[in-house]
Parts: sequence; structure tokens; C-alpha cells
Amino acid sequence: MTLDSVLSPLFFILVFPGFFFLSVYGTFLEWVDRKCYALMQNRIGPPIYQPVADFIKLLAKETIIPKHCDTALFKTLPFFAMASVITAMLLVPVWPQALFPFQGDLVVIIYLLTIPTMTFFLAGWSSSSPFATIGAVRVLTQLFAYEVPLMLALLGPAILAGSWNITEISKFMFQNPLLLIVQIPGFLIAVITLQGKLERLPFDIPHGETEIVGGAFTEYSGGLLAFFNLAIDMEMVVGAALINAVFLGGSMGADGILAIVVFLGKTTFIVLLLSVLKAIMARIRIEQMINFCWKILAPLSLIQIAMNIALKIRIG
Amino acid sequence: MSLLQEEKIKSELEKKFSLDILGFEIQRERRIWLEVKKEKAVEIMAYMKNKLDFNHISAISGMDMGDNLGAIYHLVQTGIVANIVVETPLSNPRLDTITEIFMGAEYYERELEDMYGIKINGLPNGRRYPLSEDFPKDQYPLRKNWDQKKFEASAKACSYEEAEKNSGDEEKI
Amino acid sequence: MPKITIPLGPQHPALKEPENFMLVLEGERIDKASINLGYNHRGIEKACEERTYIQDIYLLERVCGICSHSHTSCFVGCVEEIAKVEIPERAQALRILMGELERAHSHLLWLGVAAHEIGFDTLFMYTWRDREHVLDCLELISGNRIHYAMNIIGGVRKDINAKQKNEILKRMDILEERTNYYVKLITQEPTILARTQNVGLLPTQEALKRNAVGPTLRASNVKSDVRKDDPYLMYDKLDFKVITADSCDVFGRVFVRVFELIESYKIIRQIINYLPTGAIAVKVPWKIPEGAAVGRYEAPRGEDIHYVKANDSIKPERVKVRAPTLANFASVRYMLEGGYLADVPIVIAAIDPCMSCTDRSLVLDGEKTSSYSWNDLRLMGIEFYKKKGIDFSKVKI
Repeated sequence: MTLDSVLSPLFFILVFPGFFFLSVYGTFLEWVDRKCYALMQNRIGPPIYQPVADFIKLLAKETIIPKHCDTALFKTLPFFAMASVITAMLLVPVWPQALFPFQGDLVVIIYLLTIPTMTFFLAGWSSSSPFATIGAVRVLTQLFAYEVPLMLALLGPAILAGSWNITEISKFMFQNPLLLIVQIPGFLIAVITLQGKLERLPFDIPHGETEIVGGAFTEYSGGLLAFFNLAIDMEMVVGAALINAVFLGGSMGADGILAIVVFLGKTTFIVLLLSVLKAIMARIRIEQMINFCWKILAPLSLIQIAMNIALKIRIG
Repeated sequence: MSLLQEEKIKSELEKKFSLDILGFEIQRERRIWLEVKKEKAVEIMAYMKNKLDFNHISAISGMDMGDNLGAIYHLVQTGIVANIVVETPLSNPRLDTITEIFMGAEYYERELEDMYGIKINGLPNGRRYPLSEDFPKDQYPLRKNWDQKKFEASAKACSYEEAEKNSGDEEKI
Repeated sequence: MPKITIPLGPQHPALKEPENFMLVLEGERIDKASINLGYNHRGIEKACEERTYIQDIYLLERVCGICSHSHTSCFVGCVEEIAKVEIPERAQALRILMGELERAHSHLLWLGVAAHEIGFDTLFMYTWRDREHVLDCLELISGNRIHYAMNIIGGVRKDINAKQKNEILKRMDILEERTNYYVKLITQEPTILARTQNVGLLPTQEALKRNAVGPTLRASNVKSDVRKDDPYLMYDKLDFKVITADSCDVFGRVFVRVFELIESYKIIRQIINYLPTGAIAVKVPWKIPEGAAVGRYEAPRGEDIHYVKANDSIKPERVKVRAPTLANFASVRYMLEGGYLADVPIVIAAIDPCMSCTDRSLVLDGEKTSSYSWNDLRLMGIEFYKKKGIDFSKVKI
């Protein structure tokens, strides 16, 4: 085992595209989102360093841990969330190719992105406060609502490309740009369900502040909350990157630095879409969310898949 | 300026409760003042609601008149306000509840209990309003002889545990 | 899932002022609700008896930060009735002008709060931006944004000139355009409809039984408006409609308030265009003769009622204030039970609760009547941190 073989994975995990890149870009995207949201609401919005300032401020605050909770679980959950998001990022192509592409990494990444949601649930459940418990239950309920349409929507391009490998899918989509037009419904479904996954308006039901205070995070404070927030920012990057790779042709054949520029540009665009969604709607109720996901989004994504299968047969 | 409606209410009420209405005054258009016996107050108000369409209660004002404590029930029939004055002796202030006729009167009656110490017969148990749980129960701030400075000098705030114990059942549900 | 009880308040993000709702939940459904009030008790009624009529005006203005003009108008109206003073027409018109501007400002504020309760922050920001126009108008007339201090016994304090009239009319045009946009928004935006329709149902019979007032009652399809039923000032000479809705739900309450905004603009225009000439106040002696009066006023939240008893001195014998919110609480309980937890904030917000109005009364001077004084708390804090190894006792405050 050479030094190089140890160093380069460490570099991938800690610097790029892992922890360092994700946290910097995640906080940047959070700023983009907040600024955009503010501009749409006739406000000025925060300065670019605001998310970092918030993070540092939270780190400086006292971390209060409830008396009756499972302390070890309570303390480690934010890091579980973050670790699973970073692992997922290693599978998403930032360059033309993912770091470790293999058949089926699409499924693995969806699985990895479910882990943060599970940690939110456990966070709420373990903090033994009524608001957090209700929030935790809502996290799980919501998971069952958006997960299926998201999975089905991501399946569409995979069927078309005939591969479970994200890198191959994005290459295929880039080579057949006309097929992108057919994927628009699937793309929109993916963006909407990603909004649900990130628990943002109109799907911020698990922590709708006017209803259940902070939801699952009610009892979290200080550094632990800061890391949860960071994990959510990172999840936003990974989610946007996944949609970018599956639907928008990834880095579009570019290489080196240019590939990163294309990646940053397109993920920012997806986040802009997410903030528009956030600005134009009111929060819906949990049962309305489930109805919407199962009665509208899921059938639509099935139609999309059927369309893709037909197309696939046609092209051969 | 016609007082037809008001006159009609007056005659109807006087016909029915000639002995129980101690005084009747039409102050101006849309304002009627009645003084009634406290034993008959509930009955009169029920009659006014059911037969004369006074289906809204706006408020109950408590009053300290020296020897007597009073309550003024402000009943409303689209536009016309009937102010029903009921008096009860200061030594043993008691009135009957009207929550069975007007559901909205609950808080107004609690206020009478808290601020004037008028015991309301038949008022369902519940948390006191508007005073806090740890406020001494024998102090009635809106009575004329109540003095804030004297109260502060003498009052000893009850402890948190005591307040918890005193609080109504409703809080624990 | 077993039933759990959650406390909503006294401190909760959905509540802008302290009040407490104990909710027994069965999953997301509310099984039972109870309301505890009184956290905002300040002793205004008692304080009124200890002050002169002039001082009382400014004290009563502080009953509520939003309907400040309503309470003073109502009180001053009562005092004028007892003193048998007829105030000049121009003063009446100016009081109405302020009252309607206040209604516009209150309803816009409410619309924003309601939007925030259902998580629609964009609408919240929009309406509060537009509310600034109303506040500017109020400032232009009176010099103040919230506590205008316009009323004096016998009239109003300030006149308006042609320049101010033009400015107000200009602002009304802007506001009307924006309000029409909100009408479109609340009647068409699917998520707003999803969150407000069939939520917090209060059928007409129940609303009457529970003695609801104001927009809450009007949204239950009862044509009840003090301005029409019991006209005060010169409302009987003005042309406006009483807005009602027959849906009996939160949507109806939003609908009523938004259309009332338009009616308010209409009244403001009428007043500005046909402002009577003459004095703005008459002199009233400080000593008010013996008598009693009951005044009703249609505040933005509903019927506000004051009872004033005078005893031939410069101080009132008794002042009773019943703010509209208190009258609506009996209905809130009905509306909450059987609903979803997610709807609690909007259902409570739909009556436009104003706790500082509701609770008034009793001056508590903190130091001796509460369990801990400020100084005790500070010492406790220092002790607490000393145990953790931080010594704050050297810090000067």
C-alpha cells in the first residue's frame, strides 16, 4: 500500500468532492437560495458570508442536551447525516466520470440519501419532546410520500440509457440531447420531490415552525444544530448534482476545470428552481402532501417511464 | 329619531315581568337601561334572547357601588343595546351564571369572579381569568377599596408549587 | 399512537402574543383543546379610574398596538355622550378617516400574519410592504405611525390639508391595485385554497351561539357590522357594503377581510372627497357630569364595547373595555376541536387575536408580587454560571 493510494482517497473524502468542497459550496448555495428568496419577496437578503456567520454563531452557542434523551445517539446523529451525504457525493459525477462508478450506483446513492432523513427521524424521536416527536413522525410519513416518485423519476433516464450507472446515464443523455425534451416531466417531478426530501417549502411540514416549532430539531442547539444545518446544505448540493447528472447530461463532455464550472453552473440553476418553488407556495398539510405525491406525482412518473420504454423500443 | 322599537321592547318586558323590573330607561335611540331583581335576571335574559331576539352578549361590566356590587349585562339585538343592571350585596356577592343562555359569557363571568369577587353560581370549573394563578384569591383589584400599594406591602406571593396546586383541573386535562 | 398533550404557548412561534392552548392530539388530529388566557394582564381598567379623562385617552390608546384608534374613539364617544357634547362634522369625518386607515393597516397586517402561519412568507412580505403605505398616510396626518393620539374629548387633534389629501388619494390608488392582486391570489392560488378551505369550520348557528363578533361572525354568513347596525359618528351617511361569506371557514375570513380592505379604501375616498368644513374640535369641560354610557365601535377585529361611568369629577368612576378578541375565544375552541394540528396556527390567527387587547387590567409592580424579582433572577444566573466555572459577578451592569 503506497502513500499515494492512502492520500488520494483521503483527499477525495476530505477536500474534493468531499467535506471541504461540499461545505463551502453548500453554504454558498444556501446563500444563493436565501438571496434569491429574499429578492423574490422584495427584500434585500443576506450578505454572502451570512450562512458561514450563522454556522460560526451556532458553534459558539451552548449546546443543551435534554435530560431524558439518549445522549450518545443525540450527539452522533448530525455526523451520521453528514457522513452519509459525503459518501453519496463520492458516487456523483463531478468530472465527466464519478470517482468510483459501478453498475447500480444510482440505487446506492438513493439509499445513501435516505440515511440523513432517517437521522432526522431519530433526532426527533430521541429528543423526547412532544414537538420533536410529532416532527419525527412527520419526517417518516413524508419520506414514504416523496421517495417513490423520486425513485421512479430517476428511473426514467436509466431505462432510456439502459444502465444503472450514473456516469453512463449522464453520458447517454448528453449524446442524445433531443431525448431531454421528453424527460421534462420527469425532471420537474424530481425537482419537486427533491424539495420534499430537503424539507423545504411547500414541504417543510416536518419542521413547520408555526406548527411544531423546530420539528425534529426542536431540542437541538449550538454545534449539533450547526452540523445538522450543514448536512442539509450538503444534501442540497448532492441532490442537485444527482438531478444534474441524471437529467441534464452531467458535465456535458467538458473536462478538467471547465467540467467543474459546468457542474457549479448547473447545480446553481437547479437550486434557483428550488428557491422559486419555495417562494411561490404555502406550506401544505401532511395528508395533502401524501395525496399529492401518490395520486399525482407517482402516476405521472409511471407515465414517464412507460413513455421511455416505448421510446427505447423505438430507438432500439 | 324614532324610538318605536325601544318602546315596543319596553312594553313587552313590562307586560311580562312587571314586578321584577325595578327601573326602565330609554337613554337614547338604541340604548336601553334596565334594572332587574337578581333572582329573576337569568329568566329575563332568557326571555329577551328567545322572544325579543337579543341573541348576542357584548360584555358584562362589573361595578362597585359601595354597599352593593353590580353587574351590567350588555345584551345586543342588531343595533339595540340593552344594559341590564343587577345588584348583589357586598357582604355576600352572588349571581347566577348565564352561560347556559349565552355561551360566550364564560370569560366575562370569570372576570367578574376574579376582579370583583362576585361568586357565580353554576359556572363550570376552569382556570381563572384574567388574573394569574399565583394571585391571592381574596384580593379583588377592581373593588374601590382595593389599594395597590397596601396590597403590595401586605401580599406574600405564593410559591410556584402552591400555584400549580391551585390551578384548575383543565390545565392538566 | 397514544394521545399526547402538547402545549401551544404561552411562547410559541405561531403566537405573536402570549396565550396558551393545551391540545390533546391523537396523531395529527386534535381531540380536545383548552384555552388559557391572562398572560397579558396590565391593569388598565383600574388605572383608568385613577387618572383623569384626558390621561385615560392616552392610556386606552395603549390597550392595543393595532386598534389604538378604535379604543380611544369608543371611549371618547362615551365621554362625549355623557357630557352631551355634539362634535363637529369635520371631526367626525377625520375620526372615520383614521379609523378606516387603521382598519386597512390592521387587515393588511393580518393578511401577512395569516400567510406566515400557513408558511407563505412571500405574501407576508408583500402585504407588510404595502402596509407601509397606510402607515405613511397615518404618519402624514397625525405624526405617528401606530399610536396616532388623534382623539381628544370634543374632536380631533389635527386637521388635514389639500396636499395631504392628494397624497392619501395617491396611496389609495396604489393600495387598491395591490389589494386587487391579493384578491386574485387568495381566490386562485391552490396551496392557499388547500390550507384555508374547510378549515376551522364555524357554522352560522354555532357562531351566533358562541357570540362571535366581527369578521369571524361575518365569515359565518351573518350580516353584523356595528357601523351599519348601530351607526356612530357619521357612518350612516357613508356608502359601503357589509362583506359576508357563506363558506364559514378560514377562507371565508380571509375573503371578508380582503374585501373589507376595498370597502375601507372606498370610505376613505368618500371622506377625503367630501370632507365637511368647520372646526375640528369643541371645548369640553374637564369635569364630566354624572352619567353612564355604553359605546360600541367596529374595530378591525370586530365589535369593541366600552362602558364609562362618570361621577361629576375629572376622573371616571368606572371604565370597562371589552375588546373583540375575547368575544371570539369561545368560538376558537369549537373551531380547533376535530381539526388538524397543522391548522391550529391559521385557525387561531383567523380570528385575528390580539391578546393585549383582551387581557388589560391590574398593575403588577413585579418586585414584591412575583416570585422572583429581576435582581433575584440575576443573582440566580450568576450562581448558575459559577457552578459551570464562569464568574459573571464582576460584570457591571
